[in-house]
Amino acid sequence: MTLDRRQLVLLALLTLGAESAGCRSKSGEVVAYSSVDQVFSEPEFRAFEARSGIRVRGVFDTEETKSTGVLNRLIAEADHPQADVFWSGDPVRPFLLIKRGMVEPYVSPSAAGLPAGLRAADGTWTGFAARARVLLVNKSKVSPAEMPASIRDLTNPKWRAQASMANPLFGTTTMHVAALFSAWGDDNARKFLNDLKANGVRVASSNGEVKRLVVAGEVAFGLTDTDDANEAIKEGAAVEVIYPDQQGMGSLVMPTTVVLLRGAPHAENGRKLVDFLLSAETERRMAEAAAHMPLRDGVPTPKTVKRVGEIRAMAVDYARVASEMERIQPWLKQWAGL
Amino acid sequence: MVEAMGRALSTSVRRHESLLILAGAAILLLATAVLPLVRLVTEIPDAIDGFALFRSGRAWRLLGRSILLSGATTMLALCIGVPLGLIVGRMDVPGRRALWLIHAFPMFLPPFLIALGWFHLLGQNGFLGSEESASVLFSAAGLVTILGLTFAPVVTSLVALGVRGIDVSLEEAARLVAGPGHVAFRILLPAVWPALALATTVVFTLTFSELGVPMFLRVEVFPAAVFARLGGVDYAPGEALALVLALLPMAVLLFLLERKFVSRRSFEVVGVRGTATTPLSLGRWRTPLAAAAWAVALASAAPIVVLFLRAGISSNGPFAFVDWVAGAPFNSLLAAVTAATLLALSGFVIGHGVARGSRFAAVLDALAVLAFVTPAAVLGVGLIGVWNRPQTGFVYGTAAILVVGYCARYALVAIRVVASAVSQMPVDLERAAAASGAGSGRRLLRIVLPLNARSVGFAWLLGMIFCLRDLETAVLFYPPGGEPLTVRIFTLEANGPEPVVAGLGVLHVGITAVVLVLGSAFIARCTRW
Repeated sequence: MTLDRRQLVLLALLTLGAESAGCRSKSGEVVAYSSVDQVFSEPEFRAFEARSGIRVRGVFDTEETKSTGVLNRLIAEADHPQADVFWSGDPVRPFLLIKRGMVEPYVSPSAAGLPAGLRAADGTWTGFAARARVLLVNKSKVSPAEMPASIRDLTNPKWRAQASMANPLFGTTTMHVAALFSAWGDDNARKFLNDLKANGVRVASSNGEVKRLVVAGEVAFGLTDTDDANEAIKEGAAVEVIYPDQQGMGSLVMPTTVVLLRGAPHAENGRKLVDFLLSAETERRMAEAAAHMPLRDGVPTPKTVKRVGEIRAMAVDYARVASEMERIQPWLKQWAGL
Repeated sequence: MVEAMGRALSTSVRRHESLLILAGAAILLLATAVLPLVRLVTEIPDAIDGFALFRSGRAWRLLGRSILLSGATTMLALCIGVPLGLIVGRMDVPGRRALWLIHAFPMFLPPFLIALGWFHLLGQNGFLGSEESASVLFSAAGLVTILGLTFAPVVTSLVALGVRGIDVSLEEAARLVAGPGHVAFRILLPAVWPALALATTVVFTLTFSELGVPMFLRVEVFPAAVFARLGGVDYAPGEALALVLALLPMAVLLFLLERKFVSRRSFEVVGVRGTATTPLSLGRWRTPLAAAAWAVALASAAPIVVLFLRAGISSNGPFAFVDWVAGAPFNSLLAAVTAATLLALSGFVIGHGVARGSRFAAVLDALAVLAFVTPAAVLGVGLIGVWNRPQTGFVYGTAAILVVGYCARYALVAIRVVASAVSQMPVDLERAAAASGAGSGRRLLRIVLPLNARSVGFAWLLGMIFCLRDLETAVLFYPPGGEPLTVRIFTLEANGPEPVVAGLGVLHVGITAVVLVLGSAFIARCTRW
């Protein structure tokens, strides 16, 4: 039997369609949703593929909805889960899933070397490679003597309309604000946020944008994450990274967190991916590529990356911060206006 | 008795054949666009609470701001597109075909890709960048300029096609007593005002619904606020719907304006079947006008050239360029080809119905308009609600969900292209065939399709391009590991290596160019007979 050109094209299309439509074996894949930047998380997924032979099908967040777009997709899909694993860029959003009964506890053998305070004993969540909230300062705009040292400097009239932070409805800034409500109480935290507004602090759409504003010199300094600050350094920008409140409450440290999802279509492969992500090897690569602080002892880090033990970290109960985060939403929306 | 029943059934089917064919085509629209819109109705209880957002005043300010920005962008596009359309359509400027092509190409690309090119040109570290240029770029003025330049080719092309289709005798009579300027502005332009009305509606709608560029340039607009309501800690589709409902009066107004001024007009002024004639001589204005026209065309192309210059195929770390590309181009092409084919098929049937005054087709057309103007993020919530079920996992978890999303969003494109073409075809041919006993299906296949094959081809090509450039629809529910190229560029843009992101942009430009060239050649070849 010979096929003419049209038949061949049709056959090729059908083959490609069938391939894409999911006719391939489901046993050799795992579905992972990640709010960790794609540029850092995808290479880890590919490394896992190379090691295990299991294909990772990923879904990633956009910068503007960081940590929440993917989370909301998980919630929207809760009736019929598509994902096996959620790799969160912060440690509190997984609690929103835990609260909804969407998480399957799994105590990974790879978690053994991680600090007990940064993982759940029942295996519902496990923290590893961490970021911290930092002040990124444009050195051409701020002299060494004037360097801000606390997040309260955002409300200092001296820096009126010269500072920036991301929208507290999104990303790690939500968690930071919730942590402040937890640490300071409602009245003081609300006053702080109102003072930010009164001081003309520029509310950016994301931490990446805060970095851009600082690097471009549109503001003197901004509150952002260590990985964004590290990008500014890699770009060769004239910036200084300051871990705030080292003489006071300390800087907020946020481990990335991995959870296995209940009803996962490929649970066994999901566990293998969790084991891989929680390994010392992944922490090392995340330190090198994304300036994430390893939580294990003995993981080598580049010079530019501080270890958690080298800074004064804010005392945080992540479960409580998660509850605060939900509780303060109506007020935060009012504060943000929309 | 069985024979009698069969005859009765056959007669009944024959009598309602046209309705049945239309219903068959409507299934696609109903399954992809109407079901998600209906699903959103279940969010209305939450939407009522969401109206509280309008008490803040900020929602109104954002809405007003978006309308103003869209209006300013449309004005800029008209200011550029109308004279340029007249020039490339009927004037004797050198290389006007090339000029048209260079100027028009960016409109086939995702606007945020054009913004990315401008960023590499005028951003702080851009080729011509400075602190001042960056501050202008990242502002409302920058947004209006970029989108105005990006969408101006829509105006240019519609005006040019319009003036090329005008009755030559009108123009020749005017040329006996008037100069080229007078002919252009007193004869040609008034004759193409339906094309202008269409261009105005299209540019305003595209600008208002644009999400990627305002987000990239950090300009606050209403659709971004709607998108944000789906990205907050508390997933609030009801609130997003409340914000969308506020857009309804504007959507209805646009729909009515478009219905009044454009939809039933003759194809001669909004279509692609022009009558070639000798170009108008510009006389002493030829050189300065040609220079100005070429300057605009080159400005349109500048961001694409910059993407080429900025692109790199190597990157830091262990990931090679090919790893960053992954399967994204294939995902884009597969979904776009499939969706465009379905769009062209259903658009052919519904568009024919619209042109022939079918009420059912008019309702379907109105639903397609509603799906087109509904912000993609909200439509996406409805799509997830409808399709994420165990029984439909073969759709939701695969590239098929992209096809569903594209068909929902862009059904209007194919319907309108076909409707415009069929409306200028004499209905007598179909009547004669009907009198000879040909049923609706036969008339569609044997008469309407051959005579409008070119337009159906254009509907397919246009649908394909819209699907390829889509970002907003796909970003909310793309299948795991199956993201289209636009989504991949957008999610990598934040912290990805710049040369790689620019390289992915160049890849998208290349794919679009190849699709346009092959698609046009294919249409030309298929319709030669």
